[in-house]
Amino acid sequence: MPQEIGKQYKELLRQYLNGQNEKDLYYGQQFSRQFIEKNIAPEDVIGIHQKALSEVLPELTSTVEHSFDFLIEMMIHYGLALQEHQSLIRKQEELQLEMNVATKVQDTLLKTEQPNFKGIDIGMVSVPAKEMNGDYVYFLNDGGTEACVAVADVMGKGIPAALCMSMIKFGMDGLKGTNKHPRKVLNIVNRIVEKSVDDSMFISMFYGQYDPSDSSFSYASAGHEPALMYDASKNAFTELNAKGLLLGVQKEVLFEEHSVVLDDGDFVAIMTDGVTEARTDNGFIEEELIQTLLLEERASCAQVMADKVYSRLLEMQNFHLRDDFTLVIFKKDPKKV
Amino acid sequence: MEFRSSVDIYTEWDIVAARQLGRNEAKKAGFGTVDQARITTAISELARNIYLYAGKGKIEIERFEESGLNGIAIIASDDGPGIPDARKVMEDGFSTSGGLGAGMPGVKRLMDEFKLETEVGEGTKITATKWLR
Amino acid sequence: MQVDLMEENSIQRFKIVGEIDAFTAPKLKEKLDATEMTEGMRAELDLSDVNYMDSTGLGVFVGFYKSVSAVNGHLQITGVNARLKRLFEITGLGDVMDIVSEESGDKDAAL
Repeated sequence: MPQEIGKQYKELLRQYLNGQNEKDLYYGQQFSRQFIEKNIAPEDVIGIHQKALSEVLPELTSTVEHSFDFLIEMMIHYGLALQEHQSLIRKQEELQLEMNVATKVQDTLLKTEQPNFKGIDIGMVSVPAKEMNGDYVYFLNDGGTEACVAVADVMGKGIPAALCMSMIKFGMDGLKGTNKHPRKVLNIVNRIVEKSVDDSMFISMFYGQYDPSDSSFSYASAGHEPALMYDASKNAFTELNAKGLLLGVQKEVLFEEHSVVLDDGDFVAIMTDGVTEARTDNGFIEEELIQTLLLEERASCAQVMADKVYSRLLEMQNFHLRDDFTLVIFKKDPKKV
Repeated sequence: MEFRSSVDIYTEWDIVAARQLGRNEAKKAGFGTVDQARITTAISELARNIYLYAGKGKIEIERFEESGLNGIAIIASDDGPGIPDARKVMEDGFSTSGGLGAGMPGVKRLMDEFKLETEVGEGTKITATKWLR
Repeated sequence: MQVDLMEENSIQRFKIVGEIDAFTAPKLKEKLDATEMTEGMRAELDLSDVNYMDSTGLGVFVGFYKSVSAVNGHLQITGVNARLKRLFEITGLGDVMDIVSEESGDKDAAL
C-alpha cells in the first residue's frame, strides 16, 4: 500500500513541478487526506517526498537529499506527539463511557420516591449542569403521615459532589421510622458530613416537613437559599428564612426551626442557587423574576409550574446552565387526591 | 546470524555515539531513512534516560536474522535506581524525561516490540526490537 | 482571577481580583494552601475586587478558615459587597467568620 501511495504522490508532485498550477495544489490537498486516513506518520510523508523527488529530479544534488534526512529527524517527535494525542482522545472516549455508566448508577442509587398525598401537590425539576448532579432532592414519607423533603446542594459539581451525595442519602435513610423534625434531621446529617468530608467541601440543605393533619410546613436550613412561600389570600411572597450553618463546617450547630400553615392555593418553592444565581447576558436575574414566573403558572399543577420555570430560565440563559438547577414545589391543592 | 556491539553511556556525548552505532547497524540491516531515524530516536531516548536517571549504563545493538526475518534490537541496561511505578511510565501523557521527551510510550511506538524489566534498587533493562518489512 | 500576597504588620493579606468559580477556585485553593500555618497567625482575604463568586469559592474560604482556626489563628474577610454579604449570611458563615463588608468598613461579624 505505501508503494501505491508513493507512486501517486510522485505523479502529483511531477505535475505540480511542471506547471505550478493551483489546480495541482488542490489535487495535492485532496490527496493529503489519504495520509491522515491511512495513519501515515508525518516523518513517512517526508520520506515519501524524498523518494519521489529523487525520482522526479534525478539530477538533484546529494546535499538537498541529505537535508531531508535532517527534516525527517525533525518530524519524528511530531509523529509521536500526534500518536500520543490520538491515544489520549481514545482514552477520553473511554472515560466518557465510564462517566455515562456512573451517571446511571447515581440515578439508581439516589432514587427517591415522590410522596403522593391527598391535598398536597408536589412537583420537582433537578437538572445537572455537567454530567453528574451536585444538587440532591430526597423525599421521606414513611407511613403516609407526613411528607418530608430535603433539597441539598453539594459544593462543587461532578464526581466529588455525587460521591458526597450517597453519604447524605444513607444518613437520611437511617431516619426512617423515627421522628423527622427539621432541626433534628439537620443535626444528624451535619454530624455525618462533618466527620467524613474534606475540609473545603460542604453542603447546604433545606429541609421541610409537611403534616397533612394541620397543613403545617415546618422547615430548617443549613446555609441554604431561603425557600419562597406564596400566600394566595394576600397574593404575596415571603422568604422562608431559618438560620443555620452549612453542613460540615462545625460539629455543633444550632439550627432554627420555623413553621407556616399552608391554605388552599398556597405553595412553597424550594430551590438551589442554580435557580437564584442564574445569569443572563444582562447579569444576575432578580428574585422578583422567579416570583413572576411562579405567579404566571400558579393555576397549573406543581409539576407544570416547576417545568415552566425551568424552561423559561433556561431560555433566558441561552440554554446554557452554569450550575445545577433544582426546584421543588409543594402546593396546597384541595383537588389533589 | 547475530552481530552485537555496544556503547557505554557515561556522558551526553556517548548518546551521540550510541545513535551513530544504531544508525550504521540499521542501514546495514536494510532499513530506509525514515526507519533509521525512528531507531536512532529510540536509542536517543533510552540512552538519555540512562544518562539522566541511572548515571551510567550501556546501549547494545543487535542485528539479526531469524527465519528469514531481519531486524534490529536495542538493549538498554543500567544498574540505576529502577522504576518504582512501571505502569505509570508506560502511560501516555507521563514522561519522566520532562520537557519534550517521548518517554517510554514513544519508544514503544517507534519500535515493533518492547520489553521492560525493572527492579527498584537493582536497575532497569529495556529491549526494543524493530523488524524489517 | 489573580491573587497577590502581601505581608503587612504580620498579617498575611491576600488580595483577590476577578471571578471565583469552578475554574479559578482550584488556583485560589493552591495559593492559600501554600501559606505557612503558624500558631496564632492572622490572615486577611480582600474581596473588594471580586465581581463574581459561587459556592466553589465559598468552599475554598471554609477550608482556609478551618486551617487558620486549627492553629488558633484569625481570618478576616474584607471588601465584601452586598451580593457576597448575602451569600455569607445565607450560608451562616457570617456568624462564624469575621466578615467586613465593603460599604461600612465596619465589622458586622455579629450580624
